[in-house]
Amino acid sequence: MNEAVPVPDEELVARAAAGDHGAFDTLVRRHTARMYRVALRITGSASEAEDVVQEAWLSAWRALPRFRYESAVSTWLYRVTTNGALGQVRRRKPTVPLDEGDAGVVPGPEGQVVSAEQVGAVLRAIAELDVGQRIPLILREFEGMTYDEVAEVLEVSVPALRARLHRARVALLAKLGDNFRPGER
Amino acid sequence: MSEDPRDDPRWEQVRAAASRPVPTPPGLVERVLRSVNGVRGKHPIAPLDLPSAGGKTQVSERALVLMTRKLAAEIGRDLGGVHVSAVALEGEVVQVLVTIRFGVEAALADVLRRRLGAALTGQLGSAPPAINVHVVDVHPD
Repeated sequence: MNEAVPVPDEELVARAAAGDHGAFDTLVRRHTARMYRVALRITGSASEAEDVVQEAWLSAWRALPRFRYESAVSTWLYRVTTNGALGQVRRRKPTVPLDEGDAGVVPGPEGQVVSAEQVGAVLRAIAELDVGQRIPLILREFEGMTYDEVAEVLEVSVPALRARLHRARVALLAKLGDNFRPGER
Repeated sequence: MSEDPRDDPRWEQVRAAASRPVPTPPGLVERVLRSVNGVRGKHPIAPLDLPSAGGKTQVSERALVLMTRKLAAEIGRDLGGVHVSAVALEGEVVQVLVTIRFGVEAALADVLRRRLGAALTGQLGSAPPAINVHVVDVHPD
C-alpha cells in the first residue's frame, strides 16, 4: 500500500475489518516500532517485548470486527500492548532485571553529558517500580503521550493519572537517590 | 525534594534515558506479518478433518493455528528461553518458528515439538497434523 499520502488509521481499520489484508499490514508497519518500544520499556526484555507485540497484533486482528471507533486506533493498540506487557510481567517466574544491553537502547547525541551507566541506572530503577507506577511513567515520560492519551490507554481519569504519575516520579527519584547526586557526570 | 519531582536536577537523567533511541529488532515487522498471515490462513473458515477414533474432528485452520500458538507459547515459557515467533499451517504440516535465548540448547525445540503434539492431542481429542519446529533466531536475553 502506498503510504505517500498516509491513509488514516481509522480508515485502515475499517478496510481491514472488511477483509483488506493490505490495510492491516499497513497498520502493522506503521505501529509496530512504537508498540515494541512500549513493551520493551515495560518488560525490560527484548524477547518478551517481541512476544507481547506478536500477541498484541493477533489480538488486534481478532478484535477488528468489534472496534468501535470510540478511541483513536493508536490508543487502542497501545492499550492492547500495555495490557499484554502487564500480563507478561505478572506471569514471569523469576524477575528479569532490565539491563540497558538487553533493552537494546543505543547511545543518543547527549551521550557526552549523561553516561551510559547513568541511563542504565535510570532504566533499572524504572524496572524496579511497581507496574502500576511504571506503565504510566513510561507512557508519559518516555513515549511523550499526553495526560488524556495515557488516561485513555489505562482507562483511568486524568486526575487519578496525575496523582499516580506524581507518586511514580517521587518513587523513581527515591530509587535514583542512591545512585545519583545532583550535578554528577 | 522539590514539589514537582521533574524540577529536581536528577530528573535530567530520566529525560536523557527517555531520549535514547530504541531500535526495532531486525525483521520484527516481517515476523509479525508472518504470524498474522498464519492466523488468517489460506482457508480460514474451511475445516480440517482430523481422524479420531470412531469418526473425525473438524477444526478450522485459524482455530488450529491460534490454539497451536497459545499452547506453544505456554510450553516455551515453561521451558524457559523459548519464544514463539510465528505459527502457520503449510500443506498438511504445522510450522512453528521460535527464537531461543542465547545459551539455551537448541534441543529444547524438539522437546517443545513433542510436548506441543501431546498438548494439541489433548485439546483436540485427536491427533494433530505433523508439527515442525524451526529455530529462526537467538536472543541475547
